[in-house]
Amino acid sequence: MTSSNWIKIIIAAVLGIALGVVYGWGIDPIEYTDVTPSILRADYRADYVLMVAEAHQNQQDSQTSARRLALLGSESPAQIVTSTLEYTTNKGFSQDEIILLQGLLTAMQTYQPQGINSP
Amino acid sequence: MRLFLRSTTLHILLALLAGLGLGLAYSWFISPVTYVDASPDILRADFKDQYRSVIAASYASTHDLARARARLELLGDADPTGELSAQAQRMLASGELFEIVSPLAQLATDLQQGVVSIPATSTAFVAVINTPTLETPFTDTTEEANPIDATQSTQPTFPPTSSFEQTPLAPQLSTSTARPTVTPIPQAGAPFILVKQETVCNPDLQPRLLQFMLTDSRRKQVSGIEIIVTWTEGEDRFFTGFKPELGNGYADFIMQADTTYSVRVAQGGAFVSSISVPTCTDTNGAAYSGGLLLTFQQ
Repeated sequence: MTSSNWIKIIIAAVLGIALGVVYGWGIDPIEYTDVTPSILRADYRADYVLMVAEAHQNQQDSQTSARRLALLGSESPAQIVTSTLEYTTNKGFSQDEIILLQGLLTAMQTYQPQGINSP
Repeated sequence: MRLFLRSTTLHILLALLAGLGLGLAYSWFISPVTYVDASPDILRADFKDQYRSVIAASYASTHDLARARARLELLGDADPTGELSAQAQRMLASGELFEIVSPLAQLATDLQQGVVSIPATSTAFVAVINTPTLETPFTDTTEEANPIDATQSTQPTFPPTSSFEQTPLAPQLSTSTARPTVTPIPQAGAPFILVKQETVCNPDLQPRLLQFMLTDSRRKQVSGIEIIVTWTEGEDRFFTGFKPELGNGYADFIMQADTTYSVRVAQGGAFVSSISVPTCTDTNGAAYSGGLLLTFQQ
């Protein structure tokens, strides 16, 4: 086999790889069905945290609220609420919703998880 | 020429296919598209359950039915109300406390009826303060007790993104949302008494089905009432309203043959003893196990 034929084969292989990647990433990418809340879109995350804040206003149960917030990732509950507060402030959420989130933030900042003894 | 085709064109074709396979393997398995902006409808089932619980807990606080409905729709369930009821039953079966499960049942009931039920407690209720058709009087102290409520009507809300519709926490002043009738809440201290005990002979129903229907003094069905069924070997506790498709005051229990049961309504203490599976006869004269329907009224 001549070298020009080898070049043609290599070009064909590279073209095949490129086509495969384009198809697999762009045309028919893998569809996720069982994802965790940690990769929720920012507005859905914010709404979830807002729901926790609304529930917290009624229940005043910091442990339950912290457990609900823990679904959103490995950050501390207070950090999650803080980043949500920034997001909601920037996105023009109502003042009432901001107040609810601030109330939740205060509760999460003072919350001590059970089982951890302070020195 | 034929030999050339075999040796070159075939090799090129094979190389193209091999490259295609490698490309697909890379893009699907080695380095697939990473999701970073997922929507709630693709959450894993257990996370969806958690999401639903939070929606219900939030609704128990805000009583914003439209918003709760919109949030449930994000989960992409074909029957959000049915999913709520099913989850409530699963949680009860797994031993969760009724206090944790009841918001789910309440939301399912309210979605079923399309109305917001007023909580029995004196908790400030955001959504009703400015509603012109309010049936239950609220004093000014309610508004004063909750500064958030007082400013509620003057604050517009904005959706976080164009793709997610956010309903306001409370109706605006300009809205005239009708506030329909209220789901009856049991009045503390008023006992439930057995007003009717019927034998149900319906071969289409589950055999040995003990059905309960609890209504208030105005004969409106009441949800969230605990019923205790006891027999020699054990006891079962359950609540009305967990099958809203059958009625908010409905509950049922499968009896065993040759067992005698006693039934007690936890709230009010109505007690019915000597309950057992009745025998029915079909059109051919054959005997089969029927059911019972106990109707309690407050």
